[in-house]
Amino acid sequence: MILLEDVHFAYDGLYTALQGVSLQIDDGERIAVMGSNGAGKTTLVKHLNGLLRPDRGRVILDGVDTKHYSVAELSREIGLVMQNPDHQLFLETVEREILFSLDNLGYSKEESKERCMRTLNDLGLEGLAERSPFTLSGGERKRVALASVLATEPRVLSLDEPTIGQDARQKDKLASMLSELNEKGKTVLVVTHDIEFVIENFPRTVAMADGRIVADGPTNSVLSNTEVIEKCSLTRPQLTDAAMCLHAIFSDVPQRITLLDDLEEAVVNVLGGT
Amino acid sequence: MSFLEVFQYTRQDSVIHRLDPRAKLVMSIVLAIISLSFLSIVPLLIIFCCLIPIIAAAKSLRRWGRSMKGLSVLLIFIIVFNTLLSTATNPFSQSLALTLRLIALMTSFSVFFLTVHPDELSQALIQMRVKFEFAFAMSMAMRYVPTLGREAYAIMDAQKARGVELDKGNLLKRIRNIVPIIVPLIIVSIRRALSIAESMESRGFGASEHRTYMNPLKFRSRDWGVVIVSLLVLAIIMYTRLFIQLPPWALWQLPI
Repeated sequence: MILLEDVHFAYDGLYTALQGVSLQIDDGERIAVMGSNGAGKTTLVKHLNGLLRPDRGRVILDGVDTKHYSVAELSREIGLVMQNPDHQLFLETVEREILFSLDNLGYSKEESKERCMRTLNDLGLEGLAERSPFTLSGGERKRVALASVLATEPRVLSLDEPTIGQDARQKDKLASMLSELNEKGKTVLVVTHDIEFVIENFPRTVAMADGRIVADGPTNSVLSNTEVIEKCSLTRPQLTDAAMCLHAIFSDVPQRITLLDDLEEAVVNVLGGT
Repeated sequence: MSFLEVFQYTRQDSVIHRLDPRAKLVMSIVLAIISLSFLSIVPLLIIFCCLIPIIAAAKSLRRWGRSMKGLSVLLIFIIVFNTLLSTATNPFSQSLALTLRLIALMTSFSVFFLTVHPDELSQALIQMRVKFEFAFAMSMAMRYVPTLGREAYAIMDAQKARGVELDKGNLLKRIRNIVPIIVPLIIVSIRRALSIAESMESRGFGASEHRTYMNPLKFRSRDWGVVIVSLLVLAIIMYTRLFIQLPPWALWQLPI
């Protein structure tokens, strides 16, 4: 379990990024962090593995303040995949890139090899193992960077904007992979602007604005809340729009709907069917 | 790296800032040549005392002081090692003089870099008949130094998140640890350079042969004054260096 207690942070002590963030992340959760640009989302996830340390407040991992751990120690438990894959990749082949992360954490040769192959298969990169990461497309590089962290199988996986540059099929693959990991008991946290991706895959959403958490709860209720949507400069989910239109005509249809099944049920109810 | 601050432009309104960059370039080069033509403590101290008012006139004494504080470790290092390893008759005096000379050299050039905006610099180069493309490339390079610095930090973060321990291990391991930082930094820079080039071309870079400029530099009388005084001082110093023996007080050395 990760606990953030009233975390404050300012870059260079000047540019305020977080002002009093408290958050509890339980083991095995799937959480999305959403919010406008500059709301402090990336700053927040960098606090999880100690890349940034709070100016005030505490970050607690399983009851121990993370200030006692180095980033390398924390990265065993908490994997973080950054936005720009080019900041991570530096080796000659995709395979070595992934083995490098495993070597850092001291796995045996056989185990590294096996984990590497497994991760490559999971991410549909098996055909690219011998390629140089620099010759790959943007979306592929993004997946290689993800693979290099995923292979270490951290307990908590946090991803900063994983869906950028991915086509619908890759997004679906990513989603099913994340839910598979989640079923194995891993905690998954993503920072994203992709509202449909969140609705379909993440039961809990944390909405941020101006370095504060403005809403934290079930995705359906957070993302159908007009006030939150505006504060975080998100686009309202299309289904909520549809529900609101229907509500104007049939007042029995609830306004705050984000899931297709819920809307279907409401419409069927209005029409008097079963 | 705080000692590099002294080579960074600061927006200010001072006598020195208002001078034409070309005049300042002449002045800085003259000051540097003068610093290089002496290697004993007393003349270098005199040069040093002449440089301080110039920095003060540029309203940058505090910044200069900070830089020197950042540089102090290196300076002490130079003094200690030169004293221990030098073969001169009075190693301590000589290394002290060397250090003073380094400070004087840095200060001479900092007068230029502290007070010339990158845009002014490229404008000056263009008006000195350097091709626009080269001048532009140079000001672009200066513009991207801080960006590169930020990028380096982001890369360090990304690698740390993969379990690279940047500040642990022996010297060899630490040197090896530079690889995961430097390779992405180069790749990212090349990628960025390519995309900047593309975006510049799509905005019409190089479309017309004859460019016009918003703020062409004008050489005023005070700029001529600076150039003439600089060259005069240079002539006098060169004359004394070449044809006159330095008096004994100027060659004074510490008794150790």
